Amino acid sequence: MSTKDAKGNALVIDEDRFIVGNPTYEEITEAVSRIPEQRATPKAWWVLFLVSAALAGMFFAHVGYLFWKGTGIWGLNIPVGWGFAIVNFVFWVGIGHAGTLISAILFLLRQRWRTSINRFAEAMTIFAVICALMFPTIHVGRVWFIYWTMPIPNQMGMWPNFRSGLVWDAFAVGTYFLCSLMFWYVGLVPDLATLRDRAKGKIRKILYGVFSLGWRGGNRQWRHYELAYLVLAGVSTPLVLSVHSIVSTDFATSLVPGWHTTIFPPYFVAGAIFSGFAMVMTLSLIARRVYGLEHIISLKVLERMNIIMLVTGSMVGYAYGMEFFIAWYSGNIYEKFTFVNRAFGPYAWAYWIMVTCNVITPQLFWFKRLRTAIPVMFVASILINIGMWFERFVIVMSLSRDFLPSSWDYYSPTWHDVGLLIGSFGLFFTLFLLFLRFLPMVAMAEVKAVLPQADPHYHGERSHG
Amino acid sequence: MSSLKDDRSLTGRQYWRSLDQLTGTPEFEEWLHREFPQGASEWANAWSRRSFLTLMGASLALAGLSGCRRPEEKIVPYVQPPEDLVPGIPVTYATTMPWGTSAYGILVESHEGRPTKIEGNPLHPSTRGAANAAIQASILDFYDPDRSAAFVREGVNTDWGAFVTFWREQFLAFQAGGGRGLAVLAEPSSSPTIARLRRAFQQRFPNARWIAWAPVADERRQEALRIAFGRDLQPVFHYDRAKVILSLDSDFLLTEDEMVAATHGFAAGRRTTSEKDRMNRLYAVEGLLSVTGANADHRLRLRAREVGSFALALAAELARQGLPLEMLGGAKIPQLSGAAAQWLAPLAGDLLRARGESLVVVGRRQPSAVHALAAALNEALGNTGRTITYVDNPDVARSDSPGLAELVKGMASGEIQALVMLGGNPAYNAPADLEFRAALAKVPTTVHLSTHRDETSQAALWHLPRAHYLEAWGDARAVDGTLSLVQPLIEPLYGGKSDSEVLALLAGGDDARGYDLVRETWRGLIAGDFENGWRQTLHDGILPGQTAAAVAATVRPGEIAAAIKAHQWEVASADARGLEGIFHPCYTTGDGRQANNGWLQELPDPITKLAWDNVATLSPKTAEELGVKNEDLVRVAVNGRELTLPVWIVPGQADYCVGLALGYGREAAGRVASGVGFDTYRLRTAAAMHAAPGVSLTPTGRSYELATTQDHGSMEGRPIVLEATLDEYRRDPDFAARAAVVPAFMAESPKAQERELVREYPSSWQEPSYKDGHQWGMAIDLSACTGCNACTVACQAENNIPVVGKDQVRRGREMHWIRVDRYFEGDLEDPRVVHQPMPCQHCENAPCEQVCPVAATVHSAEGLNQMVYNRCIGTRYCSNNCPYKVRRFNFYHYTANYPETIRMQQNPEVTVRSRGVMEKCTYCIQRISRGKRQARLENRTLRDGEVVSACQQACPAEAIVFGDINNPESNVVRVKKSNRDYALLGEYNTQPRTTYLARIRNLNPEMPA
Repeated sequence: MSTKDAKGNALVIDEDRFIVGNPTYEEITEAVSRIPEQRATPKAWWVLFLVSAALAGMFFAHVGYLFWKGTGIWGLNIPVGWGFAIVNFVFWVGIGHAGTLISAILFLLRQRWRTSINRFAEAMTIFAVICALMFPTIHVGRVWFIYWTMPIPNQMGMWPNFRSGLVWDAFAVGTYFLCSLMFWYVGLVPDLATLRDRAKGKIRKILYGVFSLGWRGGNRQWRHYELAYLVLAGVSTPLVLSVHSIVSTDFATSLVPGWHTTIFPPYFVAGAIFSGFAMVMTLSLIARRVYGLEHIISLKVLERMNIIMLVTGSMVGYAYGMEFFIAWYSGNIYEKFTFVNRAFGPYAWAYWIMVTCNVITPQLFWFKRLRTAIPVMFVASILINIGMWFERFVIVMSLSRDFLPSSWDYYSPTWHDVGLLIGSFGLFFTLFLLFLRFLPMVAMAEVKAVLPQADPHYHGERSHG
Repeated sequence: MSSLKDDRSLTGRQYWRSLDQLTGTPEFEEWLHREFPQGASEWANAWSRRSFLTLMGASLALAGLSGCRRPEEKIVPYVQPPEDLVPGIPVTYATTMPWGTSAYGILVESHEGRPTKIEGNPLHPSTRGAANAAIQASILDFYDPDRSAAFVREGVNTDWGAFVTFWREQFLAFQAGGGRGLAVLAEPSSSPTIARLRRAFQQRFPNARWIAWAPVADERRQEALRIAFGRDLQPVFHYDRAKVILSLDSDFLLTEDEMVAATHGFAAGRRTTSEKDRMNRLYAVEGLLSVTGANADHRLRLRAREVGSFALALAAELARQGLPLEMLGGAKIPQLSGAAAQWLAPLAGDLLRARGESLVVVGRRQPSAVHALAAALNEALGNTGRTITYVDNPDVARSDSPGLAELVKGMASGEIQALVMLGGNPAYNAPADLEFRAALAKVPTTVHLSTHRDETSQAALWHLPRAHYLEAWGDARAVDGTLSLVQPLIEPLYGGKSDSEVLALLAGGDDARGYDLVRETWRGLIAGDFENGWRQTLHDGILPGQTAAAVAATVRPGEIAAAIKAHQWEVASADARGLEGIFHPCYTTGDGRQANNGWLQELPDPITKLAWDNVATLSPKTAEELGVKNEDLVRVAVNGRELTLPVWIVPGQADYCVGLALGYGREAAGRVASGVGFDTYRLRTAAAMHAAPGVSLTPTGRSYELATTQDHGSMEGRPIVLEATLDEYRRDPDFAARAAVVPAFMAESPKAQERELVREYPSSWQEPSYKDGHQWGMAIDLSACTGCNACTVACQAENNIPVVGKDQVRRGREMHWIRVDRYFEGDLEDPRVVHQPMPCQHCENAPCEQVCPVAATVHSAEGLNQMVYNRCIGTRYCSNNCPYKVRRFNFYHYTANYPETIRMQQNPEVTVRSRGVMEKCTYCIQRISRGKRQARLENRTLRDGEVVSACQQACPAEAIVFGDINNPESNVVRVKKSNRDYALLGEYNTQPRTTYLARIRNLNPEMPA
């Protein structure tokens, strides 16, 4: 496919050709738009949706029971005051990170391969953050006072306690959710306009018409749009690093052995990106197959994602090792014990699941054959997500054995804990399936921009050769 | 309520359950009209049309609104309030809690007529101002909603009048035969009134039988003293005067009746203010690991039946070392082996060096020959009259097991026509081979006076509700002879009758009131002006100047020699096939009489840390040989009697014996205790009440879930409970400060200045100075603490701490604000045991406060770490970040479904917590406030000792000291100045206000390691 200029030098632009088959603009529009425009919803979608919606229903049923009875329905105890709810929270926040990384940081870095997956990843971010926000809300003992964590003027004249990591957590994740939502929506506007223009039914016309905000594709609009997008990308970029750093301070600012460590912010961010990419991978592998988008979400894109997973996975593995080293080097008997206990104590099974999934699995991607093999990356992405869930579980369970052995105890989840974990996946997939059904899952306008035709110097392969 | 007026004049307290009950009576009508003159309740003016319409309109509007209001409750204000009553200010009354042949003088706090909290009476010799778990928990017994409220005849509710009529008929019938065929089964007691009525009964019915019996009592000791001295004497132990104490299977620090006084004395003899002080030394020889054994400096594991042989061998060794012991002549001295043999010479030497300052005590389980030998040893060692004195107790009725066996024989043979049981629950706890229930069915007339409609009540013809001591008049004599009154604080909640009221009916057919009966007795006891003496006794709780003089008693060597010869001295060989079963009262619920008490059921056993069940305890080696582990269900068989119960392994227990706690497996105890645990009384026979040989134990292959509050027993080498021997302490007086504050890596550093660096590491922030006003602090002396749990129950009573049940305890959600941690150290078979009470440490630099997102836990200017329940949203982050894990979370609405009576127990000065909030020790902030208010009213500063936390108040060892650390004169400052003082996890810079005093063990260097 390489084209050469008159002197025979390869053109750099060809290296960036992530869209296979060099489709025309119209082909791109058709390939993506036909999915939300389908008259008959595919049976497979219905099956998946009903299963997901049932699980989401179960989630809310558990939440209702939780509100009725109290947090005692979980397996929590003293000393383990946090359990699955906080594990799930950190897990879902982490998932979200890949979306923002792809849409914001890779955008600023002009990584053009991101265009085929960024819509998707951003949607995933929003739904993951919705799931994440559920957990800290429902995990408190008196959920009806959860708004006290926000600095809302009130008759008590009380501020929240700004020294507490949890307050900053609420700020950080809340900010993150709002920014991501705006970023996603702004990116959607040109594509919504495309759908509006193609819409047949009245309802569709009205809805897409309203949400496309009168987009006409004029030059001025594009100029404003590009600037707004750039600004939002700029705003979102620090969030990628800050949100999970702040989440990590929930642990790092405490004095619980195994939590109290300065490595947590970068380690959490790396872990978040790691798990987020794994989730994007899982989802995009399914979507490209089901909706026939293999040429848009190409193998080349997937390979790039695998490389990122290899890098972040290795960072996480390094962090695991460094935690052990520092625990030993600190000379602190409590820290030392905690880490030995992680690897050989009652939760050793969870620790070794974590190490296997998170440290060993991504190492497969050193090999080109493996990182370009769809089944390998599919299995690996799922394993990594399991491993990353267990990473948070292992960290939270540091509580079970802290300073005074007299208070040591073992946490075992109840079926409500498990139900909420599974139910949160139901909620996530319900939202995600609705997105696939009604919105363009690939950013058409952006993909078109990376096609060779978008280059003003391009004259078209078909016409020339 | 017929006695409404009278009762007020008697007690100064009165109580009614509802206005309806009160208003229904003619007496109330009369009283009402006395207060409000006739006509006051009628409209004075003729109604105008306008006023009628106004009123009707308002009534209708309000009637419509009633649907959205809370249900109406009627409140009656005091029109003539009782004297000295200020609403909101509790009043304290002195009374006495009878406990077998002992009596505990107590002070009871009463809020507007509701008794809420019990504390020890400082004037009383058996409590000395402290109170153990059983005393503290008895307030909950009083409010037990399962207590019987009805007189029942053959399952049909009736009333007291019916019983009076019934008994008067019986009375006439029995009078003819001088009481032939009539029997009374009472509980052991030391009450002068009961004794007087008993004598009247025996006079009236000379042919009737009178037996006192309790499943756990000091029968063997008293039998031995009758052998040794020829008469029934009451021993009084003075542990404070003893420097060397040898406990032969005695648990004087927990399960024996005088544990409060014993702990007080023991701790007093143990307390050191500096390394120069002397301290006592405790040797314990026992089979099960008891709290006494856990506190021993040297402990020898021997099965219960071998302890006697050890005692005899020790006596022989003492004689060899020159102690004149003529009663040993001709006795065959058992040959000991192993550690027991190595113990003899150094122990004998130590006892001889401490002549007149030593004490040999023997436990209830030991045969009378061992008790008699100990009496002889104490006399030969010069202890009699010093560390042990004997007094007469003229009113005592002692437990009599042979008498019970005789009685049951009479019942079975049809000789007994009528049996009246005053308390007790023999159908449940009588020796299994007596077949008490079958014999009871053969007696035509059976009457049971009991607080609950229990197993015995259900089998009896009549059940009479028994009044609790907080609602009845009575009296009791302490073991040293001190007389005290039992005065009611409230009308009987459930209309129960006291023992003396029933006894008066039995003895004379009189339906007398307890008040009159007691006053009649006391007319003979109070010298001088009766009314003055009576009032003084009611006020003080004791009759001053009545301590009995020590009796000069010398042992009769001949009788003791005969007893020694007659006894079978065993060096028993037991193995895994034939274990020795040792029965013992449960370390928390006792012999079962307080079984239906949630506080005691949920109280962790001080050794096993199990709540809500009893178990078969085994040593690690025995368990290994039998192939069983914790929570395995095993079938325990003794002489054809079987019981299946779970196993728990206790390090430090003697090999080849199995510990079986009594008092569980009740069928009809109430909603707390019914079905909890396993009825070990079914294995206990008259011949083997204490230690049964030849017990077999077979695994069933099933298991049973137990609830423990402490899963891990080792300190993992961490500096948590700091310990040293007295010698080490003398060599290195500052060991505690160094071990605790400096992290391990600094301590290992060769550079001395590195240690200082840690201590002086400056804070980056401007820290609060805490220099002004009161600054509260606490010190806990681990040398004095025995682990008796009194503090935990006292705190529960004071601070409205809920009982959460076995399932929640098993999930690690017990709510105790002060727990007692128990660690085993050293050898698994022969460990050292330490206890550590753990309340909130009130860190100046509190980790919990920094992490709460809503600032629900904050610091007060007085250095208290405060929990603001209203602000708490329940993130549980504070608990996660508490290195001491003293915070407790309301995972459910534990207090939602309290029965009405339990609510009455709640301390009105402490918030009852709801679902979803964190709670923890407050240093009894309500008591601090009360003290400060009082001081302000009297325009003075708060005195040291005026504010006493509930745990401190209860502690029999006075191990907990609380006070103002800003007051240089205060006791807590003095204690904290000790070089044993250390801050737990101080290296984390939490700066806890609660500090600990390191534990010192006084080892005999000559003893085998």
